[in-house]
Amino acid sequence: MTTPPVFDARGLVKRYILGETTVEALRGVDLEVSAGEVLVVAGPSGSGKSTLLHLLGTLDEPDAGSLTLAGTATATMNERARTLFRRSRLGFVFQTFNLLPVLSAEENVELPLWLAGVGARERRERARAVLAEVGLEHRFGHRPDQLSGGERQRVAIARAIVHRPLAVLADEPTGNLDSETATEVMDLLMALNRSRETVVVVSTHDPALIARAPRRVVLRDGRIAADTRGAAA
Amino acid sequence: MKLALLALRNLARNRRRTAISLAVVATGTAALLLTAGFVAFSFEGLSEAMIHGGLGHLEIARQSATEGRTATLERSVADGLDDWQALQQQVEALPGVLAAAPTLHVAGMASTAAGRSAAFLGVAGDPVRERRMGFTVKVRQGVEMADAPPREGEDQVLLTQGLAQTLGVGPGDRMTLLAVDPDGMLNALDVTVAGLITTGVQELDTRYLRLHLHSAQRLLGTASASNLLVTLDRTSRTDEALHRLRGVLAGHQPPLAVVPWTERAPFYRQVRALYRGIFWFLGSIVFALVVLATSNTLAMAVMERVRELGTLRALGTSIGQVAGLVGLEALWLGLIGGVLGDLLGAALIVALNWLNISMAPPPGAVDPIELRVLFVPEAFVGTILLMLAVLALAAVGPVLRVARLRIVEALAHT
Repeated sequence: MTTPPVFDARGLVKRYILGETTVEALRGVDLEVSAGEVLVVAGPSGSGKSTLLHLLGTLDEPDAGSLTLAGTATATMNERARTLFRRSRLGFVFQTFNLLPVLSAEENVELPLWLAGVGARERRERARAVLAEVGLEHRFGHRPDQLSGGERQRVAIARAIVHRPLAVLADEPTGNLDSETATEVMDLLMALNRSRETVVVVSTHDPALIARAPRRVVLRDGRIAADTRGAAA
Repeated sequence: MKLALLALRNLARNRRRTAISLAVVATGTAALLLTAGFVAFSFEGLSEAMIHGGLGHLEIARQSATEGRTATLERSVADGLDDWQALQQQVEALPGVLAAAPTLHVAGMASTAAGRSAAFLGVAGDPVRERRMGFTVKVRQGVEMADAPPREGEDQVLLTQGLAQTLGVGPGDRMTLLAVDPDGMLNALDVTVAGLITTGVQELDTRYLRLHLHSAQRLLGTASASNLLVTLDRTSRTDEALHRLRGVLAGHQPPLAVVPWTERAPFYRQVRALYRGIFWFLGSIVFALVVLATSNTLAMAVMERVRELGTLRALGTSIGQVAGLVGLEALWLGLIGGVLGDLLGAALIVALNWLNISMAPPPGAVDPIELRVLFVPEAFVGTILLMLAVLALAAVGPVLRVARLRIVEALAHT
């Protein structure tokens, strides 16, 4: 029996209504992502990168087409099922880090475990282990405003992987970072992919990051313009 | 990590705004406590004044004398108690009873040698027992009546100031009381004015007088009493004593009625209803103010954190948990504000009572009243519960907004 792809999108369409205008953000996207892959979604602003990640992350619903996540069609999921799926199977990294400012680094990382009902001691141990894995063993008790941009994004990445999800969806994770830190963050994501076999889907328009990705999907005007694997030319 | 702890930390983010919200809740709580304490003091003061001003806790009278009558001075001597002394012994043997005193109601005409006359309402009693019962007579001039039953020709009377003014008499002056006895005969009794008193009620002060039970019996040609007034060691035992007395006197012939003081004090009931109305009116204003002020704060707190709430939803926090977080922030405000309000209220109560403030007499009353505020334990707990309810109501709008939040829009919120 073959393992189903982690993401299997067929003809995804997403429209937004802006005043009296309907904007088609995605116009029939087909995409299959298998376990263990690292995928960069590239494209200019407005090409539909974020929209695609939102749909893959069950944060939004397509207007047409189908999406199957690890063998489960999202069309069959209600709000609660989508919430539980995100809680247990997905991790998110955002451009603006989106850490909870009132929680320490350790507590931010504990959050997905707390939502999953993991006990306090195990939560702490796992959160500290993951923070150490991303190089922040000396920052457990620091709040986000006491951390640099790169450190915040590392905490966000630790939060995204601490519950061992199937996939991490990172929407412009390096957009607020300098190029050196951006490279470190990307290296970290790729290393986590290797060590944990977690699917990593990154949206970016940073050419340096795109070039380093093992698989690149280029979106243009809501459609996939290119889907290439291997080292970039 | 607990949702409640996270909610508490969120409150600490914008300390200034949280402090203002807490001040609103605390002030509202303290205002309600002061109002409740003042109302309680007024109820207690008024009830004790009425009980010890002559009503007693319970009245025992013939059923035929009480039917359809609630006023205190309307017990006809024709429907009086012939065996009041036996009843008195029986009642005074009961636990919790301080004393049972006979009174005789008499109405008639008072006149002086100078030819002045005025209608009067009189209550005659036993000064010794009434003193034991804690009945107070406010003597403004002259002296109280002698305790011993007066001999014939030595009868005394205490006149209210208004009545004395109408008759043009003062302490030591002689006057004549005229009244109709149970057989319809007009009797007269010469009395000496022992002193001038006040009932505390302006209308009554123009017609009321007091005399010794024996004097009134001599005037009306009877050995009966209109009723027996019973006082207890504690007002809170009134209901218990009422039921016991009704049981003890059930077989008496002619049938007797035992009437609690509240049924004979329509004025007290009116004041109580009025104060309750004022309390609820004030409470409603405080309720509305706190709801408006805090709902605005909570709405602002949600608006500022839309992206954060969207992040929580993205990470797999349920709608209920996120809405619960906002609700818990509101409940923390209510709880902390309520506790602070209780502390503030307690401090203000102590300060107000320490200042010994006197207030002008209320309408219809003669004496100024002292401003006192009681500690009402139930109010301290009740106001905290009320503030929790108020904040829960204030949180409805923000919670609904959170529940309707679309994750994608929330994440894009700036």
